[in-house]
Amino acid sequence: MSFIRQYWALLRMNVGDLRQRLGLVFTIMIGVACAVGVLVSMLAMGVGARQEAIGNARPDRVILMTVGAQGPFQSSISKDVVPIIRDLPGIQRNAKGDPIAISQVLVFVQARNRATGKGIGFALAGVSSGLADYMPELHLTAGRMFRPGLHELIASNVCVRTFADFAVGDKRLMRGGEWSIVGNFHMGRTQGICVVFSDADTVLSAFGRDSYNQVNVMLESPATFAEFANAVKANPSLHVEAKHEAEVTEQGMKQFNGILNFVSYFVGAIMAVAATLGAANSLYAIVDSRRRELATLRAIGFSAGPIIAAMLSESILLALPGALIGAGIAWFCFNGFAASPFGFSFHLAVTLPIVSLGIGWALAMGLFGGVLPALRAARVPVTTALRAV
Amino acid sequence: MKYLPLIWSGISRNPGRTLLIFFQIAIAFALFGVLQGMKTGVDEAIAQTRADLLLVFPEFFGGAPLPIAYLDRLQSMAGVKTVTFADGLLGTYQKPDQSVYVLAIAPGDIWLTLVPEIFKVLPRDLEALRKTRTGVLMSEDIAKKYGWRIGDRIPLTSTTLQSNGAGNWIFEIVGTFTAHEPGSGGYIVMNYAYLDEARVKNRGTVRNFYVVASDPRQASAVAEAIDRTFVNSSTETKTASLRESAQQQMQAIGDLNFVIRLIVTAVLVAVLFSTSTMMMQTIRERTPELAVLKTLGFTDRAVFLLVVAEATTVCIAAALIGLAFAMVVFPYAAKFVPGLSMPIVVVEAGVVGAFLVALISAALPASRAARLEVVDALAGR
Repeated sequence: MSFIRQYWALLRMNVGDLRQRLGLVFTIMIGVACAVGVLVSMLAMGVGARQEAIGNARPDRVILMTVGAQGPFQSSISKDVVPIIRDLPGIQRNAKGDPIAISQVLVFVQARNRATGKGIGFALAGVSSGLADYMPELHLTAGRMFRPGLHELIASNVCVRTFADFAVGDKRLMRGGEWSIVGNFHMGRTQGICVVFSDADTVLSAFGRDSYNQVNVMLESPATFAEFANAVKANPSLHVEAKHEAEVTEQGMKQFNGILNFVSYFVGAIMAVAATLGAANSLYAIVDSRRRELATLRAIGFSAGPIIAAMLSESILLALPGALIGAGIAWFCFNGFAASPFGFSFHLAVTLPIVSLGIGWALAMGLFGGVLPALRAARVPVTTALRAV
Repeated sequence: MKYLPLIWSGISRNPGRTLLIFFQIAIAFALFGVLQGMKTGVDEAIAQTRADLLLVFPEFFGGAPLPIAYLDRLQSMAGVKTVTFADGLLGTYQKPDQSVYVLAIAPGDIWLTLVPEIFKVLPRDLEALRKTRTGVLMSEDIAKKYGWRIGDRIPLTSTTLQSNGAGNWIFEIVGTFTAHEPGSGGYIVMNYAYLDEARVKNRGTVRNFYVVASDPRQASAVAEAIDRTFVNSSTETKTASLRESAQQQMQAIGDLNFVIRLIVTAVLVAVLFSTSTMMMQTIRERTPELAVLKTLGFTDRAVFLLVVAEATTVCIAAALIGLAFAMVVFPYAAKFVPGLSMPIVVVEAGVVGAFLVALISAALPASRAARLEVVDALAGR
């Protein structure tokens, strides 16, 4: 008998036999489902956070910060270098012929959570004119743009949803003055954090500041980045460096993603080992209950190879539905689920790559869990098994 | 006691299978121990954080820093025991990605007793810092990271510029201190006077004040009074106790609690199912042996208890091994929150959990074993 024919006969027999051992079958499936479900949900957090953060990033937008600054709050760009930056080559110009380069000053202000009433911070960005040119994805959904020189703010819709007093017409007290919300907006794909814009000079004077945190520049095309970055480097008096928008965002998320990935794979790996042990145990029990059949098959000439192959296939076949159940639960319960660890809210995204990864892990669990039981199945001694009643 | 050999023979009947289930349970409880330990450990750490130490920051982060002149006004306020302040600069050592935070303090004796649970310094080191204007104290972590020794001169590059326009700061290491600050990878401590005289911007300002309330119960009233005093001044303040700010930081990772609960539930469900089916399987295989026991005069109850005892022994022993393992690896797994130790209450909860898992998973198989009819069992029906 050929290997293939023996293998097929064994596999059909094994799978048919499973109906009698539903308890053991469920044990394997549930173990694998739990491990895959947890891994997929945790990875979905990382993917969701990343999607949220760089959803709007464009290759033709560049952020300028002080050399070596790890984030905007460590960076300081004085007012007198801004005109020099605006004269650099490669910057896109708007309809009026002005370079699209906006200076930003950032302040962290306390707001109240709408639901809990607890204090939580939001970033107030004072921006110089040209915000609409730099951020075409910004759409006002209510009200109008802020006017320079007045204590006026526009807030993203996320602010309205999560914090109190951010709808058009609301007033906020900051630095002893009253600021009115004159507009609400939404920003393309990024909905994650509350963003509030106001006029740069108004914010500078109200908060007693004399320098910006960063300058955001839109290039003529992504290809002019090198030219622009070199021009920045060539002028040491600027003491700033140019980075792609996506790079700055990734830098800000490095620690967050590091923790998340470590926890995902650490926990995922431990659960996978536990699920593998559980699968091995159940498969041992299945093999033990088939001792007589296996011995009979050995007696009529079935060889070890097909027995091992069929057992491994069976184990993988059992792990597969577990993986699908786990990934399904993760998708059903958590896809689009809003999470906000570390004050950064985003939606979990269960995507095809992480589901495939989960299924891959499940196949590995099935394979490793099946090895020892398969070897045991192939080594059932013909005589003792036939003697056992 | 006389049943112990019987329980043991049940456990060792199929050693391979017992070992597998043993490891599975041990792993599950190791995971439980680490995750739950992290959550409970953080909660406990917050509860122990001091409520009488107030941190005074500018109301707006990124706005103008606090003037040092506030020091006298804070000192003269009712209910205030001691006040000091700190500032800092962020530098990089040799490479742009090797950042070093430099805390700038006025090295008065107040630092000996201010926050020993976070910042502990010996009088000898404080004296050394006082004597050397450009001196710094280093924490053990950072000393190990960069291989620094006392007496070394270290150059840092900072975005805090000096009056000559340069961002290069040179410090001389004169001593050490011990830091237990959660989340910080080590920092060094310099003289505030050196920082303030050398820098070009923000002279005469500080990052924050530390205020110790004379009566811990009055701390929140003092905090409110401080913020009221400086309202409508050039720089308004935001005062919170150390405990409040720790709570706020942890509130930010609130959703992680949800994740931890999710994982722990998934782990326990998987283990429950696994042990339960395995017990079922052994009972099925041991039907003739159990029938023999009954023939010898074991009551239904004795057989029931025998099976439960077997499951309990395996579960609790495995859980203990798993929890012990969790305690060993805990410091590495919880490296994001340094200084955290595994709370003993988690171990207790784990053992109780293991007992419950054993009871629930053994209930059905044990009652089936108890209900065995000797004749049917021996006949193989």
